[in-house]
Amino acid sequence: MTGVVGRLVEWTAPCPTAIIQSMPSDLDAALVERHSIGDAFHVLVFEHGDVARNSRPGQFVMLKPGRSTALPLRRPFSIMDVDAERETFSVFMKVVGAQTQALAHLRIGQTARCLGPLGRSFQSPQSPSLPLLIGGGFGIAPLLLLGAVLRRDAYEPRVFYGGRTIADLALRRTLEDLGFSLVLATEDGSLGFKGLITAALEEHLDSCTLPTSLFACGPGPMLAAVARIAARRGLPAQVSVDPWMGCGMGTCLGCVVPTRKANEERPRYRCACTEGPVFESSEVVWTDDRASPSRARETTP
Amino acid sequence: MTLAVTIAGLRLKNPLIAASGTFGYGIELENFVDLGILGGIVTKGLFLKPRAGCPPPRIVETPSGLLNAIGLQGVGVASFVHEILPRLARFDTAILVNVCGDTVDEYAAVTRVLEDAPGVAGIELNISCPNVKQGGMAFGVDPLLTHAVVKEVRKATRRPVIVKLSPNVTDITVIARAAEDAGADALSCINTLLGLAIDVETRRPRLGFGTGGLSGPAIRPIAVRMTWQVAQATRIPVIGIGGICCAADALEFLIAGASAVQIGTANFVDPNVYQSILRDIERYLQRQGVARLTEIVGSLRYPRQQ
Repeated sequence: MTGVVGRLVEWTAPCPTAIIQSMPSDLDAALVERHSIGDAFHVLVFEHGDVARNSRPGQFVMLKPGRSTALPLRRPFSIMDVDAERETFSVFMKVVGAQTQALAHLRIGQTARCLGPLGRSFQSPQSPSLPLLIGGGFGIAPLLLLGAVLRRDAYEPRVFYGGRTIADLALRRTLEDLGFSLVLATEDGSLGFKGLITAALEEHLDSCTLPTSLFACGPGPMLAAVARIAARRGLPAQVSVDPWMGCGMGTCLGCVVPTRKANEERPRYRCACTEGPVFESSEVVWTDDRASPSRARETTP
Repeated sequence: MTLAVTIAGLRLKNPLIAASGTFGYGIELENFVDLGILGGIVTKGLFLKPRAGCPPPRIVETPSGLLNAIGLQGVGVASFVHEILPRLARFDTAILVNVCGDTVDEYAAVTRVLEDAPGVAGIELNISCPNVKQGGMAFGVDPLLTHAVVKEVRKATRRPVIVKLSPNVTDITVIARAAEDAGADALSCINTLLGLAIDVETRRPRLGFGTGGLSGPAIRPIAVRMTWQVAQATRIPVIGIGGICCAADALEFLIAGASAVQIGTANFVDPNVYQSILRDIERYLQRQGVARLTEIVGSLRYPRQQ
């Protein structure tokens, strides 16, 4: 694992429209390194100059191993790290099905179809503050690149990393090696704080007097909890969402998230791929019921 | 060698058209794709007013396919004409607008708005979307309703009217002939098949809308069969649609009787798939010693029935 962040990584201005501004490139990216952590978790390093040079923290790539149409779609992966000099980027993945299995078992030198970098990135903190990075499970991935860029810009981010059990915290050693100030939590108490990572976050916030800003990526309920905490305490929070995604280019409209900006009367669906995946937490209309049939009636275009 | 085809008086530089709902309004992909290499683009479906679409989750991958319930989220026809069409019309490709409606009147009204818009080559009538509660597929599964809506839209435009057929019927040729009788210039064959995927843990549908429309290679043999049936049952051109990913897939539809094809789900994986398909179709024609693509249309050598 490199842990090297390209010097060319920059923050981005908010994207004013749903249309992707820069030109992502689509090419066959060769796998150059694999670091397996147990059976399920893998860090894959691919060669792709455009992604290595142009990625911003929070952006993602769409990957597909091989040309099979048996599972037609690509899969989205957050960019975990980039190395502009080696022209490589890395992703962190968990094997959950046949497509991720095939990706995880590419041989070194084999290629995956790779489109990127895509999406709206995390935005730089508005004012000097302590950035708290909250990652749940494999949602930790984009926070590594974010953390590295924040440190380069003289911030001192603190990373909160939670999972159901110790095995879910597969990147804890990497984070330690990179020297991040780290708070770990497991629901079963097998490592660190016993309970939800958001409970550990609350405990920290109760005793923290510095102005803080929150950056989170993880499962929906965790992001909703971060949003509630941020709203209650008046903290700025950016969250990276991970819905089912079809194309990554804003055409299938499959990955929409109900959102409402401050100047909007009613919620509207926005594509996670082009208008996200990073949203202000206050703009997302959170729902615990992911398939609420009433949602369509509550939302206008 | 020429790949040019003419459908309903509309000359396309090649038979490859991007299918509605899989290519946005075209301009979303201008950074990814040389839009000028496409024979045509069918836009995302448009109603009179903007539509929110279905609640998420909206898509789920299934074996060799994609089940979706997007629900025709869209900007509405006025916004399309004023904000999107001027940008899209700059590209050298035929712009076909997919027209939707909750009622016959709405279909006709959307068509009339487009009638004055420069840059529209034709309209595709969407009477086959399975993911809306009113309109959509309700028209496309009933020959009388199909006839009624096509007749009204026919009156509202001088432009070519292509009717997109639903496969969710017992005999697609009945609907195809109803559309033809009402004045359709061509038929798109087929829209998605109605499907249902269930999350066994929660025992809920995996899509927010419940059911969805199945697309992708999984439906291709059904689509080729229906294209073949419709091409034989009608005298107007047929545009084949269903899981086309490569040149051989496209050629199946053409040989079955389609005059052109639409590419749908494959756009989500690789919107640049057109280049390689065109190249491979040219190679096929060379190999077969055929100078014009139109010579292979409907050239199926089907075994004689005993």
